[in-house]
Amino acid sequence: MAVVPYLAAINRALAEEMARDERVVLVGEDVRAGMFGTTSGLVDRYGENRVINSPIWENGIAGMALGLAITGMRPVAEIMFADFMYLAMDEIANQIASWTYMTGGQTTVPLVIRTGGGAGFAIGYNHSQVTEASFLNPPGLKIAVPSNPADAYGLLKTAIRDDDPVLVFEHKFLYFMPQEVPDEEFLVPFGQANVLRSGTDVTVLALGSMVGRALEAAGTLEAAGISAEVIDPRTLEPFDRDTLFASVAKTGRLVTVEEGRKRGGVGSDIAAMVAEEAFTSLRAPIVRVAAPDIPVPPGPLAEGMYVPSVERIVEVAKGLVA
Amino acid sequence: MAIDADTLLALYRKLVITREAEQIWAGMLERKEFYLMGHFGTGQEAIGVGIGHALAPYDYLLPTHRGLAEYVGKGMTQDRIWAEYYTKPAGPARGKGGLHLSDYSVGLIGLVGSLGADYSIAVGAALSAKLRDSGQVTVLCFGEGTSSQADFSSALNAAALWKLPLIFAMTNNEWCELTHYSGHVCTADVAPRAEGYGIPWAISDGNDVATVYETMRGAIDDARAGNGPRFLEFKTFRTGPHYSGDDGAYMCEEDVCRWQERDPIVVCGQHLLDIGAATADDLDAVKREARAEVEGAIAAAQALPDTTYDQMLAGVFSGNSADEGRGAGVPAARERR
Repeated sequence: MAVVPYLAAINRALAEEMARDERVVLVGEDVRAGMFGTTSGLVDRYGENRVINSPIWENGIAGMALGLAITGMRPVAEIMFADFMYLAMDEIANQIASWTYMTGGQTTVPLVIRTGGGAGFAIGYNHSQVTEASFLNPPGLKIAVPSNPADAYGLLKTAIRDDDPVLVFEHKFLYFMPQEVPDEEFLVPFGQANVLRSGTDVTVLALGSMVGRALEAAGTLEAAGISAEVIDPRTLEPFDRDTLFASVAKTGRLVTVEEGRKRGGVGSDIAAMVAEEAFTSLRAPIVRVAAPDIPVPPGPLAEGMYVPSVERIVEVAKGLVA
Repeated sequence: MAIDADTLLALYRKLVITREAEQIWAGMLERKEFYLMGHFGTGQEAIGVGIGHALAPYDYLLPTHRGLAEYVGKGMTQDRIWAEYYTKPAGPARGKGGLHLSDYSVGLIGLVGSLGADYSIAVGAALSAKLRDSGQVTVLCFGEGTSSQADFSSALNAAALWKLPLIFAMTNNEWCELTHYSGHVCTADVAPRAEGYGIPWAISDGNDVATVYETMRGAIDDARAGNGPRFLEFKTFRTGPHYSGDDGAYMCEEDVCRWQERDPIVVCGQHLLDIGAATADDLDAVKREARAEVEGAIAAAQALPDTTYDQMLAGVFSGNSADEGRGAGVPAARERR
């Protein structure tokens, strides 16, 4: 088992799927060179017809992916920063999301849009957000949020083989984080949460970059005599309700943790789901740990305060169990 | 090369059936017998008919919201159109399209409701054909009003950059919804802008279906041969309102009358008479047959089973549509070269 960074795991998944199926093509800005390295070197192996540098036109990258997907190709589009997904919002929310339904299934829409989000480089504003929450509302989009290299590999391979549109929200800071990835090929199925740590007192459902922090918090909590169960949903659509509900039935307490903002966030949706359908399991109010409702501030100091910390997760969990 | 009589007669039939369908539709709306708002293209049918008829079924066409002539031109039958307009599960899009109509059996790959969203979709379809070396041509139909969307420029740039088999087929009907285009568009002609992208362009009479058809044939041959994109501007005038609930009070009666003299059905009918391909009686018969075909299709559509609640919920993802033979896209694309 090799220890590889997240971006290398993505590169491997792309290379393998391109070898497996010649209809798989990459489209995006600078994908031949590879801004973060996720697509670097693939043009040498698969040629310029398979790795297509797009003009700077995010809405077009998404729309082109749709045009390719409904005419026999399986495009993997890249929107360089998750913030720029908003530039492609019309194509994603109005067109891609509806196309299978609107055409009555005359065509499938086998496309993937990969994008890198998140803080960690202290740039602020339009280069630092996570934006997956904004895509929960349009129906027809599958959403994957890998939190580690093995999932980044296995979820992307599943996404490429899926006949429906899949948005993969990668994390820029995680790109450079090495972790073990099995050498043999594997897929990570959609709709199957990963229970990373078993516990009995509180369920911590964490997303993307927050999964590592939730695990760290669980370690601290254990020392304080609190047993936390850490769940990574891995995909938001489909969403593994069974695993979450079983966990909440056991612990009676739920904390959601995300890097994005609280209002209209992923935690809001999940909290509502649990409150609506599993209220009697709850022994304490659900708490959403999320960023404050402000733009992502620039500079390492403010960014450090903006992103939910390990200490904040610990404090919230302690408050619920006390 | 002059257009042959059979082709001209086929074009005439398509013009007439489009007009009859829209008039019957408008009548049903007035009598409140039908719910579906219509964006009618009265007076500009020659463009959609000429474009669609010039294409093969395996070529891709992205229609406009005023697209009945484009569907008819491309070969979609009245039965399929009205089953879809009545949102019946038997429609080609299972009644999930309605006005946002598609029929993959004839290469109508989808109608977007947010104007201009299909610039990039058309670029993607054309890029796909080029990558697959399939010989398929993509035609993007849009109006001069939609030329103001930002993706207009991006799409021309990408199509020229990649030398795509894509035809930008613009209808200039002088109306951007309720406003004359002189209030929206800074130049009288839009096509010359293609020059800046290195795309060959032409401006043609959009009221003579023979001209539209022949112009399209040339552009299609060029695109299919790998010579890259073309930009065609067809001049016409929307002599009716923007949509069925619009009284058209902002339109000048003199302009409407002047353009009605060049009505595409009149122009094409005269052409047929001039070359001796039809008599006045023949033309009357075409109209009667068209009316009967539309009325028959509407009656048949009304009799089809309605959508159920479960059918309404199904089909958001492809896995939900389950049955065989769907999801295959546009069939019968020419063999790869």
